[in-house]
Amino acid sequence: MMLLKAVVYATLAYLLIPLVVIILFSFNAEQSFSFPINGYSLRWYALIFEDPQLGQALVKSLMIATATAIVTLVLGTAASLAWLRLGRFGRSVLEILCITPIALPGLFLGVSLLVLAAQLGVRLSTVTIVVSHVVLSVPMLMIAMRARLALFDRTLEEASRDLGASQIGTFKRITLPLIAPTLISCAILSFALSFDEFVVTSFVAGTETTLPMYIWSMMRRTVTPLINSVSTLALLFSIAVMAIGFFVGRFKRASALSERASS
Amino acid sequence: MNNGTSAEAPLIELSNGQKQFGLFQALTNINLAINEGEIVTLLGPSGCGKTTLMRIIAGFETLTSGTLKIDGKDVASLPPEKRPVNMVFQRYALFPHLDVFDNVAYGLKVKGVEKEERRRRVQAMLRTVQMESLSHRFIGELSGGQCQRVALARALVNGPRVLLLDEPLAALDLKIRQHMLGEMKRIQLETGATFVYVTHDQDEAMILSDRVVLIDHGQIVQVDRPQDMYFRPRSLFAAKFLGETNLFEGKLTVSGIGQLSLETQDGPFEVVSNDAAVSGNDAAVMSVRPEAMSFRQSNAQLDYAVDAEIADVIFSGSRSFFHLVSLGGQKFRVQVQNMPGAALPVAGDKVHVSWRKDSATVLPLSRISS
Ligand SMILES: Nc1ncnc2c1ncn2[C@@H]1O[C@H](COP(=O)(O)OP(=O)(O)OP(=O)(O)O)[C@@H](O)[C@H]1O
Ligand SMILES: [Mg+2]
Repeated sequence: MMLLKAVVYATLAYLLIPLVVIILFSFNAEQSFSFPINGYSLRWYALIFEDPQLGQALVKSLMIATATAIVTLVLGTAASLAWLRLGRFGRSVLEILCITPIALPGLFLGVSLLVLAAQLGVRLSTVTIVVSHVVLSVPMLMIAMRARLALFDRTLEEASRDLGASQIGTFKRITLPLIAPTLISCAILSFALSFDEFVVTSFVAGTETTLPMYIWSMMRRTVTPLINSVSTLALLFSIAVMAIGFFVGRFKRASALSERASS
Repeated sequence: MNNGTSAEAPLIELSNGQKQFGLFQALTNINLAINEGEIVTLLGPSGCGKTTLMRIIAGFETLTSGTLKIDGKDVASLPPEKRPVNMVFQRYALFPHLDVFDNVAYGLKVKGVEKEERRRRVQAMLRTVQMESLSHRFIGELSGGQCQRVALARALVNGPRVLLLDEPLAALDLKIRQHMLGEMKRIQLETGATFVYVTHDQDEAMILSDRVVLIDHGQIVQVDRPQDMYFRPRSLFAAKFLGETNLFEGKLTVSGIGQLSLETQDGPFEVVSNDAAVSGNDAAVMSVRPEAMSFRQSNAQLDYAVDAEIADVIFSGSRSFFHLVSLGGQKFRVQVQNMPGAALPVAGDKVHVSWRKDSATVLPLSRISS
C-alpha cells in the first residue's frame, strides 16, 4: 500500500513539476533560467501585450484550436454512434480507417496534405490548418472513445424506448449525456493537440502564423522567458474551461434538487 | 384472478410464433395466451429462449413468422415506445447519469406528464417500493436489492397494462429474494397489472405465479397452474425440472382390455390414470415426488409399494430425507415430515415404502429431454 502511494505521488510529481517550473519562471524578473529566482515581476506578461504579432498568433491559434475541437467533436460523436451500432467486423474496419493516420509521422502527413492541397488547388489558409489538425485528432479521439464506448450498455437505450421515448428522444436524454464526458474530454484533448501542433502546421499554414510557429521563429533568435508566460496563460485557459464545465454541472444538479423540494 | 379459462379475449396472444437468429431456431411454434391481471412465469433452463420471448412482446425483436396480438390488435409494426408494456431488464438497465427520482420519473417525463403530477406520482411509487428516503441517490450508490426496487418502480409508475420482468431477482441473495417475491405479489395486487415473469428458478415460479409456462429448447412444453405442473407433469422434462422426483423406469405392456402395466425392476405397476400419451410397448417412467411416499402399510387397491433398504438418513429440522435402494436395485428418496417423538427407521433398516396411485404420473421416456 505504502509503495503504491509512493508510486502515485512520484508520477504526479513527474507530471506536475515541469508545470510548476514554467509558472514560477513566468514571474521571473530576470532573463536567465537559473535558480534561485531573484525577484518577481510581470514583465513577461506585459511583453505579450506589447508584441502585436505574438498577440495575433495567439488569437489565431486559439481560433484554430477551437474550430478543431468542434469539428472533431461532431465527427467523433458521429463515429462513436456508428461504432455503437456496428458489429464486430464493422467496428474493426472503422477503427482501422480512423486510427491508421496516427501511425504516420507528422512529417509525411504534412507533406501529403500539402501535395493534396496543391492537387486540389486549395489555397493554404486557416482552413487547411484546421483540416490537418482534425486529421490528427480524430484517431486520438477514436482511441479514447473506443475504451469508453465498449462499456456503454445498449440496453439503456432499449430501456428508454420501453419507457416511451422515441429514438431521437433516447439519443438526447440517454446516449448523449452518457457519452458526453468522454466527448468533452476528447474535445479538450484535441484543443490542446491543435494548440501546440507544429510539424504538420508548418507545411499547410501558407502565410499564416500560429503561436507555436511564432514561438519557434522567436526562439531561433534567442531563448526568451516569454514562452513561460504564454504557456502559463494557456494553462490558465484550459483550467478555466474545465472549471466552468464542472460548476455548470454542479449548478444544474443543485437547481434540479431544489426545484423538486420546493414544489 | 382468472386462470386462463376466462371467456374474455386474452391481453397478449401469440400464435404460431417462430424466431430465428440466422440459422439458429430460438423459438418454435409458440402459442400462448395471457389474460389481464394474471401473473404468468416463463420458466426454463438457461438459453431456452425466455428473454427472447419477452423481448418479442416488448418490441425489441420481431417474430420471424406468426402473430403477436396485444389487446386484440396485431402489434408487429408497433415500436417498443408505443406498446402498453413496460419491462424490467435482466440487469435492471437503470440510467447511471440520473438519480433514483429521475430514473423513476423518466417515463412520465418523456410522455409530457405535467411537473406537479409527475412529482406526486413518482413519490407515491417510491413510497410503494420503500425507496423515498433514497430518492436523491445515484444508481452507483445503491445495493442490488435497491436497484431492483427502482427498476420495478420505474416501470410501474407508467401504469403499464403488462409488466415484463426478466429474472429481476437473479442478482439478489436468498433472504432478499424471498422478501421481494412477497413485495412483488403485493404490488401486483395493488396495481392490477399483468405480470409476465421470467425465471429459471422453479421455486420463484411456483410461489409467484397463477400459471407457469415451461419452455425447453425454444418450445413451450407445458402451461399449467403451479400445483398441476408439479403434481401432473406432462413430460419427463417437466417432472425433473420442477422439484425433485423419483423415477421408476420400465416398459409398458398391455395387461388387459384398456389396461397397461409398467414392468420395472421392482415388479409391475398397474397404470391407472393414463392422460399422458403412453401406449403399449413404450419405454416409460413412473414419476413420484419424495414427499408423496411414506413408510405406512400399503393398500393394494389405492397404493403402489416397493420394498427397500435405507442407505442414509438426513435430518433437517422439520423434515427428514431418506436415501433408499429398492430390492430391484432402484435408488430413490423419501421425504417425511418430522413429528416430535415419532419413531423413524434408521440406516440399514428394511422398509416397505408406499405411495398413492394418484400421486404418481406415468410418462413416456424420451431420450431427448435431459
Ligand atoms: N441476438 C441474438 N443473436 C443470436 N442468437 C441469440 C440472440 N439472442 C439470443 N440468442 C440465442 O437464443 C437462445 C435463447 O436466448 P435467451 O436469451 O432468450 O435465453 P434465456 O432463456 O433468456 O436464457 P437465460 O436464462 O440464460 O437468460 C440462446 O441460445 C441465445 O444464444
Ligand atoms: Mg434471459
